This record gives sequence, structure tokens and C-alpha cells, in this order.
Amino acid sequence: MPSSNSVQTALDMLVLTVLSRRGPSHGYGIANAIQEWSQEALRVDEGSLYPALHRMEEAGWITAEWAVTENKRRARIYRINASGTKHLKLETDRWSDFCGGVARVLRHA
Amino acid sequence: MSWITRLKNAFYSRSLDRDLADEHRDHLERRANHLCGQGMTAEEAQRRAAAMFGNTAALRERSRDVRLCVTLEATLQDTRYAMRGLLRKPVFAFTAVISLSLAIGANTAIYSIVDAVLLRPLPVPQPDRLIALSTTHHPQSAVNSASDEGATFSYPLYEQLSAAAGASARLALLGSPNRVEAQTSDSGAPREEVVGQYLSPNAFDVLSVTPALGRLFSPAEDRFPSPREVVVLSHDYWQRRFGADPSIIGRNLVISGRTYSIVGVARAGFSGDEPGKFVDVWFPITLFDPSIFINPDIRIFHLLGRLEPAVTRQQLAARLQPAFHNHLLARMGEGTPTPTASQTQFRDTKLLVNSGFSGNSSLRRVFSRPLWILAGVAACILLIACANLASLLLARSTAGSSEMALRISLGTGRMRLMRQLLTESLLISLLAGVGGWFLSRAVAPALVTLVSRQLDPIRLDLANDARVLIFCILICAFSALFFGALPAWEASNPRPMLALRHAPGHSGRLRTGRFFVGIQVAFAFCLVIGGAGFLLSLHKLDAIDTGFDPKGVTVLTLTDDAIQRDRQFALMQQIQIRAAALPNIQGASAAWLPLFSGSRRAQRVIVPGKQMSAREETFYRVAPGYFATLRTPLLSGRDLSFQDNDNEPVASVVNRAFARRYFGTESVLGLQFQRDDGVRHQIVGIAADSRYTDLRSGAEAIVYMPMKPPRAFTLYVRSSLNAASVLKMVQREANALGSGLRVRDTITLDALIGNTILMERFLGAVSGAFALLGLVLAGVGLFGLLNYSVERRTKEIGVRTALGARRSSIYSLVLKDLTGMVVAGAIVGLAGSVVLLRVAQALLFDVQPADPIVIGAATVVLMLVTLIAGGLPARRAAAIDPIVSLRQE
Repeated sequence: MPSSNSVQTALDMLVLTVLSRRGPSHGYGIANAIQEWSQEALRVDEGSLYPALHRMEEAGWITAEWAVTENKRRARIYRINASGTKHLKLETDRWSDFCGGVARVLRHA
Repeated sequence: MSWITRLKNAFYSRSLDRDLADEHRDHLERRANHLCGQGMTAEEAQRRAAAMFGNTAALRERSRDVRLCVTLEATLQDTRYAMRGLLRKPVFAFTAVISLSLAIGANTAIYSIVDAVLLRPLPVPQPDRLIALSTTHHPQSAVNSASDEGATFSYPLYEQLSAAAGASARLALLGSPNRVEAQTSDSGAPREEVVGQYLSPNAFDVLSVTPALGRLFSPAEDRFPSPREVVVLSHDYWQRRFGADPSIIGRNLVISGRTYSIVGVARAGFSGDEPGKFVDVWFPITLFDPSIFINPDIRIFHLLGRLEPAVTRQQLAARLQPAFHNHLLARMGEGTPTPTASQTQFRDTKLLVNSGFSGNSSLRRVFSRPLWILAGVAACILLIACANLASLLLARSTAGSSEMALRISLGTGRMRLMRQLLTESLLISLLAGVGGWFLSRAVAPALVTLVSRQLDPIRLDLANDARVLIFCILICAFSALFFGALPAWEASNPRPMLALRHAPGHSGRLRTGRFFVGIQVAFAFCLVIGGAGFLLSLHKLDAIDTGFDPKGVTVLTLTDDAIQRDRQFALMQQIQIRAAALPNIQGASAAWLPLFSGSRRAQRVIVPGKQMSAREETFYRVAPGYFATLRTPLLSGRDLSFQDNDNEPVASVVNRAFARRYFGTESVLGLQFQRDDGVRHQIVGIAADSRYTDLRSGAEAIVYMPMKPPRAFTLYVRSSLNAASVLKMVQREANALGSGLRVRDTITLDALIGNTILMERFLGAVSGAFALLGLVLAGVGLFGLLNYSVERRTKEIGVRTALGARRSSIYSLVLKDLTGMVVAGAIVGLAGSVVLLRVAQALLFDVQPADPIVIGAATVVLMLVTLIAGGLPARRAAAIDPIVSLRQE
């Protein structure tokens, strides 16, 4: 079974996936991507996104740096790194196993 | 990102906040733009975006907590807040920090001295393997220095003990450091006083001291007769005097008339085996007066040793004990029959093997008890200061209590509040600690100077030691906890409603305040009694009749380099006569060593028809005119004359105490007696009693006998001029006589006497100062508390006055509050002081632990202080206008 804060873990996974597929982006971009790719099924609100981003930065799975946007404003760009990729692989496998297991139980008559 | 970054962010929390804000704003803008793109107006888009974002503040806080170290940030916040709080109340901050830094400074200063004298090990490898030998009794003998109570070994005994120790330990023999005159062999070089010490050639080896230059002593020095005349310099002396000149080896040094060759320099950091005495030059023992090698009565050395591995002190003691007893038996067997008292003493004397961890220390013997007493007194001061601060903090916290109450009702935990209040206490004590540290740097050397004699200075290595620093920090932390904990606990009391309503429900706080003030009064009273005791003892010592008139007497030490014994006596006579004839000189007289210098010649007396005396009496060589110069009355008979000499029977003047003790009467003119070495004396005069060694012992029995040709002698000069003028005049006369007679030292007789009561003066001064400080602190604490109490009861007092109470009854109302605390504190303080004075009994003179004069004086002082401290708030209370007080809420 995944850990009790499975929502948090799922969110981590989603963010890492977006970063690895889409490349480096800022928080808004990540939130948008998740919303788009899930076809509006998942909506990440900022209250969970930013703490998650900062937590993952603490854990060392993503790195962040400041960039200057077109309007001369500061924006924080996140990118995934090697240990993040490794962690993503691990979590994805675990999630598939979990989903497979749940599906099998549901199918059982 | 890691915990390092989290720590960093705790310090730069403001930039972190900015970053988070920027990030969120960026997000908001993009969303707003997106919504605009979907067709909303700009403001509508902004509003929608913000609404969808959610609670920014809470968001920021959650992100923030992830990214910085929360505890550190809270501590920094508390510190900044405490700092601002102190700056807002400068008077309180100033008083608190100053009073605490005085207390911390005093404690650190005393500890650094205690560390340097009592605790520090010798700077040699493995000091725990060092041993020092001593004996249980100190039988006196012919040549003995009163200041070296532990030096009780002779050279023959050393050889026997070394042989007995064998392979289990190596023993070394050391003399006492003494001041000698040195000059380099260049002609016309100035003379300077240096400290020299005689050592056995293996001493450096036993202490494991290595040379910095050249070599140290070796067994090559151990051959006599015709030993090599070599010396080893200390590193400090080499740097000081010769500028660390590497070509010093082989150069000559002239010391007390003899020429020595410098063979080496000891390594840096080693300055002898005695803390407090920095030795400059070491001589091999083989160059000492040859009679020490065969005469077992000359016991002026101390023995140190190093244990071999796996040997314990007890084992060594067991090995050495038989050899020691054999030596004593052999000595008892020869010579004149000794009285039974001495025989029992000999039998009971044992050899002790002590730890030589801190080297040999006569300093420790003298100063150990006073230092511990002072440490106790300093601790009392610290407790008073802490109690003072605690009561101040308690009183002050009532002003901010509504703020505390608000915070409690908003949900702050008690621990969080206490942490903040304790941070404030810690800040105060850290600031006080810094101030106290610098204070102790200045005070500690000053204290040492107070007890250092001019001719025998004490130098202590009070350099900043890590141990002293740690002690200072610990003291700060301890005091912060002590004075901060209780007020913090009280202030964070979770009953906010009372405070918010401004109701006077703080009687608990007053109780604690009273307790603290009671503590202060107790300690202050104890200190005042102690201080009064020491001061009274000092006063009594000062008032003792010395038997002569010390005012106006300069004491000069003269020495001649020309070692022509036949001329020495004549020179001495001439200088005395010429000095006495000078203008403004009322009299001059020569003598052997000065009075009160710690050395005396002591021999036993045999009265015809009786046994040898058990005691040893003082025999003092003086020249004619001594009694007139010192103004000791000659009661009967005649003074000595220049025709008297050492031919038997030796003409002597005795004092009354001697006559009474040995003849039972005072009419003893013409009678004879013998010294224990057989020489007969005839009494030609009787003098009044006077002191010789120190002020404390009663009048000693003294025999004055004629001078022998001396190498160095003392000249007492009575004059109305000061010592420097007398010195110049006598030096001129000495130069006029030629033949190298010159003045080596000058001191006044008053200073010599003062030197013997240095300890008492020191204790009196320091304990008096501490008592004053303690009294001031306690008075301030008392005043503060009463002030607060009056303030609290303003309404009540207003009502009473309005109902017709008289001023006197208001006074008594306030003072009643006071009496309970003061009386309780005084009783506890009295008990404590009796204990203190009993411990210090040996240091007091003619003062009992419960001396009524002392206690009476201290009580008067305490009453005065309490009247002042209590009178001011009482007057304020009586002056309260009832209308005003009833109107204020």
C-alpha cells in the first residue's frame, strides 16, 4: 500500500512527470499542464502546489533558479534532476502496482 | 537544499519572504493574463485569480516553514525583541547589566587566581606522575627560614632517600628561589635583581624539561670538589634581558660576585617548580656552600620526584619510610642530649609522598584558605546580584502583563513565552558577562599586586586560560537561569483574565519578591559581618605595640664586593658612625638580617643547673646603638659596644621575656647561660620586649649579641627624611669610603611590618569592598520591592488616608512589610556569618566568630540601610493624595 499521504505522493509524481516531459517550467505552467493533460479531471490548487514544490526542492528531487521574464519580473523556474528522475521511476512503478492490484480486486466477482 | 540552507534562511528570513511573495505574484499575474485572454476585464481577472489562489498568507507560512529552521528563527526573533525591550528601558538595563557584571567580574577574577595558584598543573609532561615529599612534623633547626615550612630536607637525607627509592622513582633536590644580583661580565654593566634557584643536576631530567638552546645540567655537574661554574637561564629571562640572542652560550654572568658560564636556556613556558615565582637563573647544587653536603641539620631544600611507570605513591612511601626513620635515629643519637619532647616528635615524624601535580607551592599553603573564603564571598555577591535582578524583573513584568495576557489568550504556549522571557535574561547575563570578563582582566592582576611584597614579588600567569573563559560562560548561564526562571514562570502564568482586567491579583508575585529580597538581606548581612570581622582584626593588628617605634626608620641592606673579612667589620662600623653623623639623621645602627624578614637564627638555651630548653629562641646580632635607633628602651645594664665580640663569654643583652622565662626574674645582670652549641653568654643589659618575626605571636624572647664581620648587613637609619633621601645620603657616604661598599635594597620599617600583615590587609580591603557592594545591591532590591508594593497599594492607602489615618500609621503600614523580610534575612545572615568566621578563624586576630562588637556594628549598618531603603517609599506612601489615588484606576 502506498503511504498514508498518498495524495501528496501522487502530486509529487505528477509534478515530476510534468517536469520530465515538459522540461523546466514555473509553478503556473506546471499547474496548467496537470490540468490540461488530465483533461480537467485534476485541478491542483496553489495551496498544495507550492508547498509541494518547496518540499521537493528540500528533498533534492528538483532544483530551482530565478529567471527574468519578459515584463522584467522575477520568476522561479524548476527543473528535475537525476535523483528526481530516479525517484519518479520508483514512484511510478509503485503506483502501477497499486493500481493494478486495486483493479484486480474490483474485477473480482 | 539542505539543513545548511535552512539555517541560512533563518537568518535571512526577510529575503525568503520576498522570494515567496515574488513567486506567488508571478503565478497570480500569469493566471490573470490567462483569464484576460479568455475575455475578462483586467480587474475582474485579477480578482478571480486572487480568489482562486486562496489564502496567500497561510500559503506563504506553510512554504516558509518548510524552507527555514523554525527554532533558530524564533530564537533570533526573541533576541531582537529582547534587545529592543532593553533599549526601551535604559535605566533598568543599565542597572541590571552593571550590577551583574560587577558580580560576574569579581567571581571570574577570583577564579582565575584560584586556578593559577591552586589548580593549574606544572607545564611539564605528565604532571600526574610527579610527587613532592614532606614530613608530618617540622622540627626546627639552626638554619631555617620561616617562609619555607615545607622545605625540610637536607642533602645527606636526599642522598639516602634517592638510594632507597632505587628504580621506583627518581628524586630531585631543589632550593627555594631567591633574589640575587646579576650583571653581565661587560665592564660597567648595570646590576639587576634576578631570581635564582639551586637544583640538583638531575632536576631538569626528573621534571622532563628540555632545553631551547644549548644544554641543561647533566651528571657532569655532579662532581665536587671543583664543580663547573655553570648556569642555565630561563627562556623568559633570556628573551627579556638578552633579546633571545643565540650566541648567549658560553658568555659569562656575574652573580653575587662569582662568575658563571651560561651553558643553556630552558624551553619556553617553564619557569620553575613553584607557581607564583618565576625563576630566571638556575645553579647546580654543587656550587652551594659546601657545608650542606655533610651537615644534616641544614634543611632548606624540598624534594620533588617522578614515579616510574606502574609505581604508586603508596608503594614509594613504603620504600622510603625505613630510610627516613634510620636517618632520624642516626641524628638523634649524635650530638647533645635532646629533651624528651623532641624525642617523641622524632618518633612520630613520618615521610609523606604527596602529588606534585602543581609543583611545590609555599604560595598555596599561605593563600589556599583565604582564596577559598574569597571565592565563597564572591559567590555570595553573585547570588545577591541574581536575587536583585530577579526581583527587578518580577516588578517590571507587571507593566507588560497585559501584553502577556493578550498573547496567552491568542494561543501562545507557555513554553514559548517562557523561552522569550528567558532569552531576555540570557541577553542581560551575556552582556554582563562580557563586561565582567574585561573587569576581571583588570581586577585579578590588581588583587595579586595587593599581596605581592616589594622584595619578594609574586608573579602569576593569569593569561586568558580556556578554563577561566568556560567558567565565566557557565556563571553567566547559571545566573541567567537563576534570576530568569522564576520571574518567567510567574509572568507566563495562564490566567489572562485577571491581567486584562487590571485587577490587583498578583499577591503571589509579591510573595516571591519578598523571598528574593529576604535572600539578598541575608547574604548582605553575612558579608557585612564578615567584612567587619576582618576589618576589626586588621585594626587590632595595626594597634599592637611592636616594642619599638617604626615611624621614620629606613632599612637599608648593604653589601660589599670586596671579600676581605678583616676590613668588613671596620667598614660596617665606619658607615654606621658616618651615617649617624649626617644632618637630619637621628640615629643609625647595623644589624644582621632585617626584622620581620622571615629569617631568624634560632637556638636552644641551656641555663646552668637546668636541662636544655625545649624551645628555640631568637639570637639577633646587632651593633651598638641599636636600641637607641629603634627606640626600644634599655631597662638596665649597658648597651653592646664595639669592643664586644664572639669571645666567650659573649656579651649579650636579653629582653624581659627571656629573663622571665629562663630565670624567673628580671634582675639577671651578670648571669650566664649557654647556647645549644656550647657557647657561653653573659648578660650585660636588659631591654624591653619587642616583636621580631611577626605581630601575631606574643612577645618573643630575644638575645642580642655583637656583630660578626658580615658579607651583607642591615643598616637601620632613623630620620625625618623619606627613604629615597636617606638612601642617597648613605650611598654617598658608602662611596666615599671606597672599597665597594654599596646599598643593595631600601625599604621602610613600616613597610616591612606591613608585609607581615599583607594577607590581613588584603582580606580586610576585599571583604570590606564586597560587603559594601552587597549592601548597596540589597538596599536597591529592598527599595525596588517596597516601591512596587506601595505602587500596588496606592488605592488602599488613599482610602485609609481619606478615612483619617495619620501619617505615622501609613509609615508603620509600609515599614511593617519591611520588618518581616529584614528580620528573617538578618537571622539567616547571622547564622551564615558565624559559619564563615569560624572557617576563617585562623586568619582573624583576636576576633571571635560571634564577637559582639562586630555583630553590633553590622546590625547598626544594616538598620541604617533598611531605614533609608524603606523610608523613601514610606514617605512617598504617606504623601499620597487620597483624591488623586482614588480617581486613578
